[in-house]
Amino acid sequence: MSGIRESELNVSGSTLYIDDLPEPPGLLHAVIVPSPTARGVLRGLDARQATALDPSLRVLTAQDIPGGNELGEGSPNEPLLVSGEWSYAGQPLALVLASSPLLARRAASLVRVEYEKLRPVLDAREAAKSNDFFIPPRTMASGDVQAAIARCALVVEGRVDSGGQEHVYLETQAALAQAIEGGRIRIVSGTQSPSGVQATVARILGLPMNAVEIEAPRLGGAFGGKEEQGALWAALAALGAYLLRKPVKIVLERREDMRWSGKRHPYSTDYRIGLDAEGRILAFEADYYQNAGALCDLSPAILSRTLFHAAGAYHIPNVRVTGRSCRTNLPPFTAFRGFGAPQAFFVIESAIDAAARKGGWDPAELRRRNLVSEGDCFHYGQIASDCRAAKCFDRLVELCRWTELRAEIESHNASNTIEKRGAALIPICFGISFTKLVMNQGGALVHVYRDGSVSVSTGAVEMGQQVARKLQLIASRTLGVSEDLVRVECTRTSTVANTYPTAASTGSDINGMAVLAACEEIGGRLLALAARILGVDAGGLRIEGGAVVRGCEPSALDWKTLVDRAHLERIDLSAHGFYATPGLVYDTKAEHGSPFAYHVYGCAALSATVDVLRGSYRFDEAWIVHDSGECIDRAVDLGQIEGAFAQGLGWAALEELLFDDQGSLVSDTLSTYKLPNLRFMPRRTTVEILESANPRAVMRSKAVGEPPLLYGIAGYFAVLDALRAAVDGATSTASETAGLGYDLPMTPEKVLDFLEGRRPC
Amino acid sequence: MSRTIRFLANDRLIETESYGLVPSLDFIRKDLGLTGAKEGCREGDCGACSVLIGVRAADASSFSYRAHCSCVTSLAELDGRHLVTVEGLSAAGLPGSAGESVRLTPVMRAILEENGSQCGFCSPGFVIALTGLLLEGPPYTEERVLASIEGNLCRCTGYGAQKRAALRLARDFADLPADPFERLRLLVDAHVVPQSMLDFARGKALPVLKYSRDGDPPADPSAFNPTIGGGTDFLVRHPHPEREEFGEDYALLTREDALLRISLVEAEVGSPRLEIGAAVTWRDFFADPLVRRTIPSIASFEDLLASPLVRGQATIGGNIANASPVADITSMLIALGASVRLRGRGEGREVPLERLFLGYKKLDLREDTRREDTRREIIEAVLIPAAKPIEFFNFEKASKRGTLDIAAVNTAAVFETDRTEGGAIRITRARISAGGVAPVPLLLERTSSCLAGSSPGAQAAAEAADIAAAETTPIGDVRGSADYRRRVLRRLVIAHFVRLFPGSGAEEALL
Repeated sequence: MSGIRESELNVSGSTLYIDDLPEPPGLLHAVIVPSPTARGVLRGLDARQATALDPSLRVLTAQDIPGGNELGEGSPNEPLLVSGEWSYAGQPLALVLASSPLLARRAASLVRVEYEKLRPVLDAREAAKSNDFFIPPRTMASGDVQAAIARCALVVEGRVDSGGQEHVYLETQAALAQAIEGGRIRIVSGTQSPSGVQATVARILGLPMNAVEIEAPRLGGAFGGKEEQGALWAALAALGAYLLRKPVKIVLERREDMRWSGKRHPYSTDYRIGLDAEGRILAFEADYYQNAGALCDLSPAILSRTLFHAAGAYHIPNVRVTGRSCRTNLPPFTAFRGFGAPQAFFVIESAIDAAARKGGWDPAELRRRNLVSEGDCFHYGQIASDCRAAKCFDRLVELCRWTELRAEIESHNASNTIEKRGAALIPICFGISFTKLVMNQGGALVHVYRDGSVSVSTGAVEMGQQVARKLQLIASRTLGVSEDLVRVECTRTSTVANTYPTAASTGSDINGMAVLAACEEIGGRLLALAARILGVDAGGLRIEGGAVVRGCEPSALDWKTLVDRAHLERIDLSAHGFYATPGLVYDTKAEHGSPFAYHVYGCAALSATVDVLRGSYRFDEAWIVHDSGECIDRAVDLGQIEGAFAQGLGWAALEELLFDDQGSLVSDTLSTYKLPNLRFMPRRTTVEILESANPRAVMRSKAVGEPPLLYGIAGYFAVLDALRAAVDGATSTASETAGLGYDLPMTPEKVLDFLEGRRPC
Repeated sequence: MSRTIRFLANDRLIETESYGLVPSLDFIRKDLGLTGAKEGCREGDCGACSVLIGVRAADASSFSYRAHCSCVTSLAELDGRHLVTVEGLSAAGLPGSAGESVRLTPVMRAILEENGSQCGFCSPGFVIALTGLLLEGPPYTEERVLASIEGNLCRCTGYGAQKRAALRLARDFADLPADPFERLRLLVDAHVVPQSMLDFARGKALPVLKYSRDGDPPADPSAFNPTIGGGTDFLVRHPHPEREEFGEDYALLTREDALLRISLVEAEVGSPRLEIGAAVTWRDFFADPLVRRTIPSIASFEDLLASPLVRGQATIGGNIANASPVADITSMLIALGASVRLRGRGEGREVPLERLFLGYKKLDLREDTRREDTRREIIEAVLIPAAKPIEFFNFEKASKRGTLDIAAVNTAAVFETDRTEGGAIRITRARISAGGVAPVPLLLERTSSCLAGSSPGAQAAAEAADIAAAETTPIGDVRGSADYRRRVLRRLVIAHFVRLFPGSGAEEALL
């Protein structure tokens, strides 16, 4: 039977990722000739030395592109291969093809690039000075901030910075392209967006979309890094395969991938927050400078999610937030789990932290007091409904015994000079849906084969989030058959068309609904037949446990018999399902509407210990209370929560993206760019999933992919809390410095600066 | 002169003339077609490429299987050994939910039951590491179990599931016997590992495997270029050695029995010394009873260095020869007063370790120009004074991630003490080393000498810290700015006193 659990393939080493696929005969390996600096003008390419290495070598440049040299749709200055000016270090100038990866890389290093160097802009605020934006500045507002600020008892302002983050999907970017008969092209692409890659390749090769087939197999991680960015590598492989009529493979080495591919956007933000004497937040203002890098990519969409999440999990009646997507000469920053929301959360949490410090409030109490609650209006106009912010918060306070924890920490700190402990707690609130309306649609194709086994195809790409597992369960529960009968296929553009990326946490919501619709249609046909066979009314029948059930009585009619009979009676055993998320409205001119189907809430606390002597820190314990619908598979959701939290904690307190002053990445290997390993994570993590039926998503579930990443931000503030225990009294008073110096990620070097009074905390 | 490399890959005998210095990962994936091992980073930092490598004594009296990163283990290292990949383990398992097409071992099942495989790219590496842990035998303390997988990176799960799977296995296999053969037999019976392992360990039922270099092992590795230790740094710096202009001939010090020994050498004059063969791996070094007797606290620092996957491959001599200014073992050895014995010219010579480093990545290894084939000296052994157990030894390391990271700054200290007439403890001699604060690993000579005769406390610590900062010249790089390095060194020097002399008030030196 077909029901191999995919994870069994993983652990036994049988899963084939792109570089594991058997190599087709005549395969050529492709590498790029990268631009040598962050900004320059290409004057000439001399490939004579390279091609002299071996007769098999080919070097392709912009002139060889048969269609439009346009990587992004409608982005004329964003070429697949540079012909004039380049705008980041590592931008492809030429494609080198050879019979082995080694030979290709050697040849690429021999291609001489003649160029004129231009001065790069690396800093978002510098780009903003010359108004170099991808889209005009965008502002969302509610209430009257000016008037509210005038009424505030306390106003704090300051600057907040957050660094970028490398995805470190363990499988690097890869594609395998094959020319097939009739001048068509088929690509196995490591992408979250098969239809997006299809459109890009069609444009570049000048082909209709039906001449380009994309297959997205299981990806070895993606996290947003293969949403837009897989297209470049697929298109390059396709170009080679199309022109040379041979199979072409591109697999990046880790350092290449780290240097050339996009990452989470660094942000720099100015904020102002105002509170009344009781600690109610009356007003919040922020100017976000998003370092978008050299190409537009998804930066505007990411910026909009930042603006939507500016107020975090709080209700603030007067908000005015402006975002600027700044063009710089760093590699294009892109989607990364959270998609602009983490940067917004770090700003609002910093602002609240500063206000608490200056106003002398307990930060946890201040957070509780201002939580968003049922019926509150978000600053973009949506009304909070089924709001579970307070429920999660209060449960977390119980779960981690917050009051006792604080007391314990204080007594520990009173008697320890070298190790100081701290803790922080933050609530989250994350809107679910693509903020671009058109993207909220998806299709599914379900076949029931004559033997009763089931095949499910959708636009959802399996990249470790176990969406395939959820779709399998949705299909098996809807059809009423064992999950072992259901196989979820990898994603192909020729099977399900016009899909949108598996992203924005919506993969199982949208595709699951489409699967549900298709399964219900097939189920309906089968039940009508069953009613005829059993001579009863179809209304009382359902299929359950692999048999037709009437009331509480299983009938003698089992699934396989029914399916076989349906086929003999010439009943269609296939169905296409479609889903478009209802109820989404947003007016982008007025910046007002209900862009989200629903929100996901939660709350996390983290405790940390700082070694005051060595300037090091560790995380002791984490507690998470996560708002969920009815879990389709609890283990999958737990894995998403724990995994996203780890990425968030890495972003907040470990992973440091470092560029040199010429715009080249220097933390470009896993020996210099550190992500969490097992020991970095808290010694103990307790996760509690608060389930409750969610009427707005498939099978009353809730999306889970991105929101828990925000929990990691508590790590920054937990270390900060411990640092305050170490330096309070030793340096200037809190109120003088409140609002200054929030700069994520926390690192040992920064900790030393805090300890030695070089940074205010 | 080509050399044949022969080894057992799962249950197949492999003979190849391939260039032996290539990362074994490439050979495993491309030539053997075993794609379960993945390339994640190609520098030993992620564990996705992990494999088990079995070694047995020539008379089959002993054996061991350990998990290694195949990306930093050269193909030649496999010669005469048993390579076991995730495919080899799977074949020993029981049928999965779809029957014979996928077979699962109990380690694989534990990961599945805890939902520890999301994207799956790291999963084979975790299976190998945990199988390696079971092969090494109990006791499976929580600390040890978790340490066994801290060299494996996973970007999906956050490690919660892996941790639960590892602890579940530790419980399920808590009663494995201490005898390695008996244990291996039980693991074969439990479908954890294949029968071929037992056959290999017992030296039977398989062709006799022998390290061979078209005949005899090389008499003098110094004649070959390159000559490497475990290769864990060499292959990071030369990820495609076949693309570079190395000679066809190379030498692996790990294949010389004489360089794999640790012994106590009585001297005619002076104190006895511990002699550590250059090819001794870090894991063997830290596990060695003589080392533990001589420097009782040293094993507690093992987890701060690299990962278990790398420590089983990296060598003591290699750490020195790599001449990294932040080499952790080198820093420890300098504080311990170690010398190196060099082979290459006549009788060879001995050099105090700290004097071996001439400049950034530059060693005082001389070439013998008297012969036609230019030979360079090689590090043969490290000698550590071992008159009596070293009571006061400490190692400190500042790095971004607490484990599995390279130091920004490291320092080690050894103090010899006596008692004053009043009974107070007094430092008679100190040796403090520092890495990451100069182009070479340093013995902090002024810092060390200023401490003679002082009593360990805040004053001595502050003085030592100040002198240490003054006698070093750090530069800034991706691991930390120059200023940070200088400041953190001060603190780590103070930390030596705080850790070794608790209650002395040394921490007040910070103020």
